[in-house]
Amino acid sequence: MTTSTFSKTDEYGFVRPDDFDYVEYEKFMSVYLNLLTNYSMKWVRLLLNNSQMKRNAKLKKFVRTGIPLVLRARVWTSVSGVQKLKDRYGPDMYKQMLRKPINEDIRNIITVDVPRTYPDNIFFHPNSENQKTLFRILCAFAACNPEVGYCQGLNYIAGLLLLITKNEESCFWLLRVLVENILPDYYSKTMDGVIVDIEVFSRLVKKKFPEVSQHMNDLDMPWALVATKWFICLFSEVLPIETTLRVWDCLFYEGSKVIFRVGLMLVKHYKKELLECEDIASLAECFKSIVQRPFPLNCHIFIKQMFTEIGSLPMSLINDLRRQVSAERDADKSTYKNRKG
Amino acid sequence: MANRAVPQRPNGQTPGKICQFKLVLLGESSVGKSSLVLRFVKGQFHEYQESTIGAAFLTQTIHLNDVAVKFEIWDTAGQERYHSLAPMYYRGAQAAIVVYDITNQDTFERAKNWVKELQRQATPGIVIALAGNKLDLNTMRSVQTDESQTYAYENGLLFMETSAKTSANVTEIFKAIAEKLPKNETTNTAGQGRRLVESEGANKSLSSCCK
Repeated sequence: MTTSTFSKTDEYGFVRPDDFDYVEYEKFMSVYLNLLTNYSMKWVRLLLNNSQMKRNAKLKKFVRTGIPLVLRARVWTSVSGVQKLKDRYGPDMYKQMLRKPINEDIRNIITVDVPRTYPDNIFFHPNSENQKTLFRILCAFAACNPEVGYCQGLNYIAGLLLLITKNEESCFWLLRVLVENILPDYYSKTMDGVIVDIEVFSRLVKKKFPEVSQHMNDLDMPWALVATKWFICLFSEVLPIETTLRVWDCLFYEGSKVIFRVGLMLVKHYKKELLECEDIASLAECFKSIVQRPFPLNCHIFIKQMFTEIGSLPMSLINDLRRQVSAERDADKSTYKNRKG
Repeated sequence: MANRAVPQRPNGQTPGKICQFKLVLLGESSVGKSSLVLRFVKGQFHEYQESTIGAAFLTQTIHLNDVAVKFEIWDTAGQERYHSLAPMYYRGAQAAIVVYDITNQDTFERAKNWVKELQRQATPGIVIALAGNKLDLNTMRSVQTDESQTYAYENGLLFMETSAKTSANVTEIFKAIAEKLPKNETTNTAGQGRRLVESEGANKSLSSCCK
């Protein structure tokens, strides 16, 4: 059972920060570990009845309550549509992509970025097997998706996928499904998708928490200053690791709208503090600190509240907003062009 | 993460005046932008510094005589495709450090482009410093000091060769910037020189943020 002292390194190999709140964490884990054991047994029963992991309300509810670590890779792969991609491209695609040459510049930047991916994680030590694997995955991905090639941030996503799946090929396919199916154009050369989604997020904040939106405007703080990393890294390196994984559980099942929910939950919970900030610097500090506070650390409550306290957020609304923002951007671009021309 | 114990500056007497400036770091990926900031703010160096996504925000205060100069530092992502986000970070900045790697000529060319962009689009009067980083790798140098020095002189930039690893010239470059920034007490723009005034009044001098 639980002991009273937690190691300096968590079960995923991440070294806990010096200011890690062990007291708060222990309080949370003493309850959460029991929950996990309970859910694990329920998951086993569920998978006996639904071994194909067909999408239904029950499975969705289970995903929202958290996928046990041992089942995570399998469930992510099943619910996210990896199989469809594999059927389309053939099961040998990964091996073929490993042999395909890639652009020298891209190869160079991957070479530099791999050793700087989770350098504090014990499984990503210099020249570790994981570093070599990560390098291959990122190169294979660049080879199969030349539109994207490599975008900084993908290293963190692939790295975390690797820590969870512990399987090179699964990691490659999950990375593809994220970039090509779940997220719209975040990592392309213009990063249009992420720029649009940050604007969509800003409009959602305006709708749901107008006073925060007004305050950000008054202080001349664009959301992109804080939210770029949220969207690009999908909260990896932003939220505590367990919370990030619980977010990814939902992301693989429900799609990119989940990212907006997480952001809105943070705004809602810390609204008072954000409103008390008097300038950009204190806002930036505030955003930097809130993600490591007790509330996001308690992943169970965090995920629960994010689905109960934000209100409805259908994919159709997100897509409407995306279309609207994209159209406005296109119009702006053509006005700019005409003016220049 | 390490404790945020900021190394105390010598002569940490109570300053008479506090000036706040927004400073942005720009430059090609992996030239050492984050490492320079980490050295300046926390006195640390990591051989493998995590790549910055979007941007990171840090602050550090240095003392010049009786003035406390507080830098609000925006450290940005270097990869070319993040370029479209950059104007958001340098908007309203009163100072910029454009960083290149002395062992890599391409990064120097990229630095020149950043300088051009800043001179064209950032706050008029912005203080720009050029930092040739990785001076510890002097033996592998491919950008000559003379070349950068001349370029910096011709473009009115502060220039230093630095090493985040050995800490050579790191505090010095921030100090040189602090010295060059206007610290007149009359103006107080809480939003830190937020909007750039275009066309009329070009080269309008910067408003500092002294309290």
